[in-house]
Amino acid sequence: MRGLAPAVTAVLAACGNHDPQAAQAGIAGPPITEPAITVSTALAGTQSLTRTLDDSPRSLDPQLSTDIPTQRVLDDLFEGLVTLSIDGKPIPGVAASWEHSPDSRTWVFHLRSEARWSNGAPVTAEDFLYSWRREVDPKTAAGYAQALAPMVNALDIALGRKPPDTLGVEANDAHTLTVHLVAPTPYLLDLLDQVYLYPVYRPAIERYGDDWVRPEHLVSNGAFTLHEEIIGNRITLSANPFYWDAAQVRLKSVVYYTMPDRAQSVLRYLAGDLQFTDSFAASQRPWLKKTLGEQVVNSPWLGTYMLAFNFNLPPFRDNVALRRALIVSVDRAALTQYLKYGMYEPADTLMPPLSGYQPQHPSWAALSQLERNDLARRLYREAGYSAEHPLRVNISTSVQGADERHYFEAVAGMWHAVLGAQVSMDESEYKVLAQNRELHLLPLFLDTWIGDFADPVNFLQLFYGGTSLNYGGYADARFDGLLDRAAQEPDNAARYRLLEQSEAVLNDDAAYIPLYYYATRHLIKPYVQGWRSNLLDRNLSRYMYILEHQGR
Amino acid sequence: MLRYIVRRVLESVPTLLLIVTLAFALLHTAPGGPFSADKPLLPEIRHNIEARYHLDEPLWRQYLRYMGDLAHGDLGPSFQYRNTSVNQIIATGFPVDVSVGLSAIALALLVGIPIGLNAAWRRNTLWDRVPMALAVAGISLPVFVIAPLLVLVFAVKLHWLPAGGWIAGSPSHLLLPVLALALPYIAYVARIVRGSALEVLSSGYIRTARAKGLSTARILLRHTLRPSLAPVVSFLGPTTAGVITISIVVETVFGLPGIGRFFVTGALNRDYTLVLGITILYGALIILFNLLADLCYAWIDPRVRLE
Repeated sequence: MRGLAPAVTAVLAACGNHDPQAAQAGIAGPPITEPAITVSTALAGTQSLTRTLDDSPRSLDPQLSTDIPTQRVLDDLFEGLVTLSIDGKPIPGVAASWEHSPDSRTWVFHLRSEARWSNGAPVTAEDFLYSWRREVDPKTAAGYAQALAPMVNALDIALGRKPPDTLGVEANDAHTLTVHLVAPTPYLLDLLDQVYLYPVYRPAIERYGDDWVRPEHLVSNGAFTLHEEIIGNRITLSANPFYWDAAQVRLKSVVYYTMPDRAQSVLRYLAGDLQFTDSFAASQRPWLKKTLGEQVVNSPWLGTYMLAFNFNLPPFRDNVALRRALIVSVDRAALTQYLKYGMYEPADTLMPPLSGYQPQHPSWAALSQLERNDLARRLYREAGYSAEHPLRVNISTSVQGADERHYFEAVAGMWHAVLGAQVSMDESEYKVLAQNRELHLLPLFLDTWIGDFADPVNFLQLFYGGTSLNYGGYADARFDGLLDRAAQEPDNAARYRLLEQSEAVLNDDAAYIPLYYYATRHLIKPYVQGWRSNLLDRNLSRYMYILEHQGR
Repeated sequence: MLRYIVRRVLESVPTLLLIVTLAFALLHTAPGGPFSADKPLLPEIRHNIEARYHLDEPLWRQYLRYMGDLAHGDLGPSFQYRNTSVNQIIATGFPVDVSVGLSAIALALLVGIPIGLNAAWRRNTLWDRVPMALAVAGISLPVFVIAPLLVLVFAVKLHWLPAGGWIAGSPSHLLLPVLALALPYIAYVARIVRGSALEVLSSGYIRTARAKGLSTARILLRHTLRPSLAPVVSFLGPTTAGVITISIVVETVFGLPGIGRFFVTGALNRDYTLVLGITILYGALIILFNLLADLCYAWIDPRVRLE
């Protein structure tokens, strides 16, 4: 998903405060000496957890979900054929086992007979069939319908060319589901733990319509059920006694508070109201580290923050030297260290580090920043620019508050200092940026991506010719050809090699400006256990538990 | 009196219609649409979604459709929060705003009026100067400074009160937001009461009352208070509507489930129906409280006749 979802909430935080810095000033003074928390090894008597969401979930209907806050809650309420392990890897969920044909185009899933809905009814293959047809049915108007494209006929159904019952999925019996794919899809399991493929309970939808997601009607099949929802404020979940693995779930309740204001989230964490928060401002990190130590959790999050070029507009069209000059003259390490307080790792690739995938560092990555600057000046001249004829360009970003503005002002300053380019900032509302990007009106703009699943293809597709995600209009036959070949490659290792080659093509073409890789940012009380940092930043409450402790 | 009220209510209908029409036009002229977002959709899929909300129709038809639904009290579905209607969002959030807002106004009056009266009575003493200096500070300090400070002191440091959140009917969750919201208004009310009370105290009938040897309490409460309140009442009309509605900062800092935040996120996300619904509500509130203020004014000042 485009990483700007959290950025939108940052906008809200800024609005709520008028000036986020002013609001933070109240707590950024001398460190508050927190009473120490002592934790024992015994389980606490009360197994209840309070977590936060950056924004209100848009809809608790899995098929309509497109945002990260909703994903957090649905991960606790529902379970797909596969689910996520404590470290974010796909593991058996409702399906206990599966096998696929040698060409990887047909997959058969065997559902657990003990899987139950929260009203006691069995979860069957029919439920999945119904839910997935519902996802691609144009009548549902699901935002992510196109994500099912690997399934036979899915795209045609979503585009209204075929009826929903032609979807290449069959319920062979109550507990066997066969999925037919248009191409070998080695990442199918990663796709299956996306929330929009979670099953929904048909009788509730048919009976209550849009209101089926209200606490009094919602039937779920995950580790928790929906107890209460106050829109814009909190969502309370209770343990689901019918969950097939209920014996392993220790939490009795989970409360998700909507916390669009990061400073407020930190304050309430300090006050002891919150135990597992989702976000804090980068500028608060040094102070939080000093005050809370190990409770501040940053870890790699599968996402890349970058600037993108428009390949159809001057000055970047047909000017690879200019593009490369801008790429290499950004001192990423200084930016992340001083303006992001060390929270992120500087990026030189599109794909964040992922095991099994060889990072495609561009050749300039081996140079020191001084050497890079020399190279950049050479390229800048080669591109036809000079002190008399400087590059004039806008960086188009969305309004995200002072921290982001300073970051891009520094980028502009670097281009000016190293190259003599005249760079200005063009901040607009997120919706305006999104529209202008889609209409290909901007020459140089903010582009961010947070992986939906841990597969390089999820990132590389951003540059595939003619797709709606390809805002810059990048088009390269070699690149598209490699992705096409990868899509037909059943062997995952061989497929990764093809994807690596395609990323190398992006480097050759200086296709975008990598800035930094995302990082998760949680505050977690020491007595909250049963979570592990993972690349997808999906932490299911079903694994968590509370240890006995004193202090907040 | 009844005729006056009926007339004012009828007069408000065209005003509201104008507000709705203007808001509708402005929202639809803003660049970006409700579904130009996170992940760009395939054109056909986007069309499906827009068709579901009738956004594919010509604007005049959308307008007529909206007005038709509005006539039935239906504010339409939210685009941003699918499965949720604007009526549901307002029904959940508005009572919270009302309870916090009205409590803050009550607190502002209960504290502000005595301070103002006392300052006027003991004009140019410490009883006047200190509270008035504080009042200037209270008016100048923005709520986004006061609110986090209150949380820091009373919740984080002292652990006396919750740092935020909302439990319906829980006074401890109400206290800090009400205080944060009320502080500037305490200051306003105190200054207004002081000003008008000074004028009243210099009038002839107060001198007569003093000459008769009436007690201070009687002079202040019986003869000064009521006429001093007239400007407070005119101030309260638009202010009450404002306190109930524009508490977005307080809502955000204390994590209250009011509708102020939806107003802002709705505008940013181009959630047309949500913004329109809240605009209508806010417009109606301002009209209502201005009417109430005029009625109170007539009650306080017998010289005012409502025609």
